[in-house]
Amino acid sequence: MTDLSIQEASEIAHNYRVIRDKRKRRAAITKHLFLAICSLIMVYPLIWMIVSSVKPDNEIFGNISLWPSEFIWQNYPDGWNGLFLSFTVFYKNSIIVTVLAVIGNTLSCSFAAYAFARLEFKGKNIFFALMMMTLMIPYHVVLIPQYLLFLKIGWVNTFLPLIVPRFLAGDAFFIFLMVQFFRQLPRDLDEAAMIDGCSPFKIYWAVIMPLSLPALATTAIFTFIWTWEDFLGPLIYLNDIRDYTVPLALRNFISQDSVSMFGQLFAMSILSIVPIFVFFIFFQKFIIRGIATSGLK
Amino acid sequence: MSGVNLNKVVKTYGDLEIIHGIDLEVHDGEFLVLVGPSGCGKSTLLRMIAGLEEITDGTISIGDRIVNDVPAAQRNLSMVFQSYALYPHMTVRKNLAFGLGNLKMPKAEIAKRVAEVAKILQIEELLERKPRQLSGGQKQRVAIGRSIVREPELFLFDEPLSNLDAELRVQMRVELAGLYQRLGTTMIYVTHDQIEAMTLATRIVVLQAGIIEQVGTPFDLYNFPQNKFVATFIGSPKMNMIEGTANKSGLLLPDFGQISLPKNAPKSGNIHFGIRPEQFTIGKGGDATSTGKITLIEYLGSELFLYITLPSGHVVLVQASSQTQYKTGEELTLSLTAKNAHYFGEDNLRIPLYDEKK
Amino acid sequence: MKKFFAKNGPGYFFLIPWFIGFFCLALGPILYSLYLSFTKYNIFKPPKWIGLENYEFMFLYDDRFWKSLEVTFSYVFMSVPGKLIFALAVAMLLDKGMRAIGFYRALFYLPSILGGSIAVAILWKQLFEYNGVINSLLAKIGIEGPYWLNDPNYSLYTLVMLGMWQFGSPMLIFIAGLRAIPRELYEAAEIDAASKWKQFYAITVPLLAPVIFFNLVLQMIDAFKTFSSAFIISGGAGAPLDSLNFITVYLYNEAFAFYRMGYASSLAWILMLIIAVFTGVAFFSSRYWVHYENERD
Ligand SMILES: Nc1ncnc2c1ncn2[C@@H]1O[C@H](COP(=O)(O)OP(=O)(O)O)[C@@H](O)[C@H]1O
Ligand SMILES: [Mg+2]
Repeated sequence: MTDLSIQEASEIAHNYRVIRDKRKRRAAITKHLFLAICSLIMVYPLIWMIVSSVKPDNEIFGNISLWPSEFIWQNYPDGWNGLFLSFTVFYKNSIIVTVLAVIGNTLSCSFAAYAFARLEFKGKNIFFALMMMTLMIPYHVVLIPQYLLFLKIGWVNTFLPLIVPRFLAGDAFFIFLMVQFFRQLPRDLDEAAMIDGCSPFKIYWAVIMPLSLPALATTAIFTFIWTWEDFLGPLIYLNDIRDYTVPLALRNFISQDSVSMFGQLFAMSILSIVPIFVFFIFFQKFIIRGIATSGLK
Repeated sequence: MSGVNLNKVVKTYGDLEIIHGIDLEVHDGEFLVLVGPSGCGKSTLLRMIAGLEEITDGTISIGDRIVNDVPAAQRNLSMVFQSYALYPHMTVRKNLAFGLGNLKMPKAEIAKRVAEVAKILQIEELLERKPRQLSGGQKQRVAIGRSIVREPELFLFDEPLSNLDAELRVQMRVELAGLYQRLGTTMIYVTHDQIEAMTLATRIVVLQAGIIEQVGTPFDLYNFPQNKFVATFIGSPKMNMIEGTANKSGLLLPDFGQISLPKNAPKSGNIHFGIRPEQFTIGKGGDATSTGKITLIEYLGSELFLYITLPSGHVVLVQASSQTQYKTGEELTLSLTAKNAHYFGEDNLRIPLYDEKK
Repeated sequence: MKKFFAKNGPGYFFLIPWFIGFFCLALGPILYSLYLSFTKYNIFKPPKWIGLENYEFMFLYDDRFWKSLEVTFSYVFMSVPGKLIFALAVAMLLDKGMRAIGFYRALFYLPSILGGSIAVAILWKQLFEYNGVINSLLAKIGIEGPYWLNDPNYSLYTLVMLGMWQFGSPMLIFIAGLRAIPRELYEAAEIDAASKWKQFYAITVPLLAPVIFFNLVLQMIDAFKTFSSAFIISGGAGAPLDSLNFITVYLYNEAFAFYRMGYASSLAWILMLIIAVFTGVAFFSSRYWVHYENERD
């Protein structure tokens, strides 16, 4: 042992390091390779859909190649006008419903959250518990009575059943999310504002809201995505094709069952998720943080 | 401008009483400092005056208006918070103007007042910044600016300097004193730091566990503490307390032996004998003497403090001339004079033996 | 009275939207739904009280109901564990500050955010056509794929795979959870010569238990409520042979295709009870296997 010269010792150490680094690099490469394959499997269906949207119809099935023999861009304009009405109408409907739903949900949930997080009133704890309990209720239970209610007041076949509930703070998840957020804003700010002559409403509007943009953005983004994707609501409440939102229109595409239209179907499917995709790209940070911290879907 | 009157004010949280019936008269235009150990209820009291905390019992009036049910915004007061509580999303200018805007004041008037205050506090170059771009001292100035821009009739401060470093704290203390001179408005100031209290106050209120121990000028509190708590709380370093026993001819102290007291002194029982570090004399003289060993020396430049262990093992703190050289382990003779000391009975209350003569 | 309003008024004011929503769209409908479940009601004639008849029929005679339970439970018990295992495995691979983590994270999450859309359900349906991509790929390795969508023995698997494909959100939550486990614990274990596998079940699993539990509850509730994809892939009717007749799909058709609102309401209540029981069991059992950090034994 003691006979090792300094040179020999450093050589051994060097060899060790080389081996260790090699092993590490191999592990990293294996991991990346594995992840790359996983991601390929994950996105393959999506890529396939994109490619299929410009393939000739006879190439879509039974052909796994991701390169079309010929690009049929015409699928897009054809699909856009492929139904009885053009997708312009369906997009317009979707946008109206979604934009109003986002405004309604963000406002009403922040209203309720402000009351729960910042104001004192009798019965607060009970109401808060009730609010949290609504988290557990599946939509399907209230679906039928809500439908009957909206039928009775003549709202079926209008956008109102899809919009008005959003203004009534029905989404306990977002209320909870905002309550959590508001609670971590310093209370001194409210009190300073109170002394500065603010009413509770002014405090909400001029102090709490501007400081809660991350929570508001998370709420708005998720509401946008869910409302845009919503299928059951429009399915039940909208029966006139002129009122259809994009998902309903897409369903009409498949129920027509003419096999020759798959390219167009995929073209429209892609267009239907473009807004979500764009949102995802731009607001990834909010979305990922929103999920990681609150378990949103 | 107006005074504040607290009448049997009580505060409870749930079943827990925090403030136990406080009576207090704050005079118009005075700088009143509430001082006391942390957790004694200073903030709670201040926040009740501000209208941020409900009053469980009693009444509070500002001027001649009972304000129990008046919301904070309508009490015509302003408050500086320990955390500054600047609105993070507004520029300094907006922070200053925010309260004025709520009063529906004309834009031109707001701009004028903001400019004035910015000039007084020398924060003109900061007006377009957001609070997070300010240093602690600058935030402090803005917070003060926000409170004076409204020209309220009452200023409240809740430990406004305790987030600053020592140097800035001294500087801001001087500025606050200057500001008070200039405005002459009633101020109520909460702190746990008795140096701040002594230097700023026209009167000090010493609070402990939700009751007032004593109210008085800094001079009164220092020279005539009404009980043992105030005696040891006010003054830095602390007053020495020696437990003695009263007898027919005066008071028997450990180490120092017998001293004679005036006729009106109690003739039996225990007495807390309090003596401040600067009241000791080094060397012979006075009414009683003892010898002790120096165990620790604190040299502060202008001042010098010696920790001296007496034969009984009791340690006393003594202020000595900073121009003399001392060594730890050195033996010293200490003497004291009876009329310079403070006497507290078994109930911890002051026994006024020499007060007229001081 | 005046004082009561001065104190509580602002709180109640901010809760007005929530109050309206809670009473009109949550509590009221739940109670009404309970009432309807004891009636026969076809919208055109007023509800007729029939006592327990709906439930009696459901449990004693309705084979389709039992089938829908079987389908729903099979789906939940296959897709949820699969999804969670996948999510945890990927999360662990992505942990430890590797390069490109942001890219992979976004990529793996993409299917989840698009997954609720009709477009993806449509895509999925086409992938599993007999002459679709999946079977073409299987043919490449010499396997003859089944009629995924038309063979009741296979149809559910398409949905299970769709569910598992969307493992993104539990993955994000796992990543956040793994981040919170102190590094030193692994270092200490390393020094104690604990194998990777031992580190996994002795450190990762117990410390991650609250997160696993959270994900489990969330995903289970979600899986029980699956509707849109099942509806689209089964052509709206739970076909073939009711093998995709999820309880939600069955409920929808009873209510809105056949207008049997009473019976549909009782189905909805059964669904709600199932979800409540499972959430309850999860919470109850969690006492035995989930230990929170700040809890004393
Ligand atoms: N909201 C509250 N609920 C219950 N107890 C409180 C509340 N606020 C303050 N306290 C208690 O009241 C006492 C006085 O608090 P405070 O006035 O903040 O003390 P100080 O400002 O003198 O340090 C403390 O013991 C504190 O724990
Ligand atoms: Mg305090």
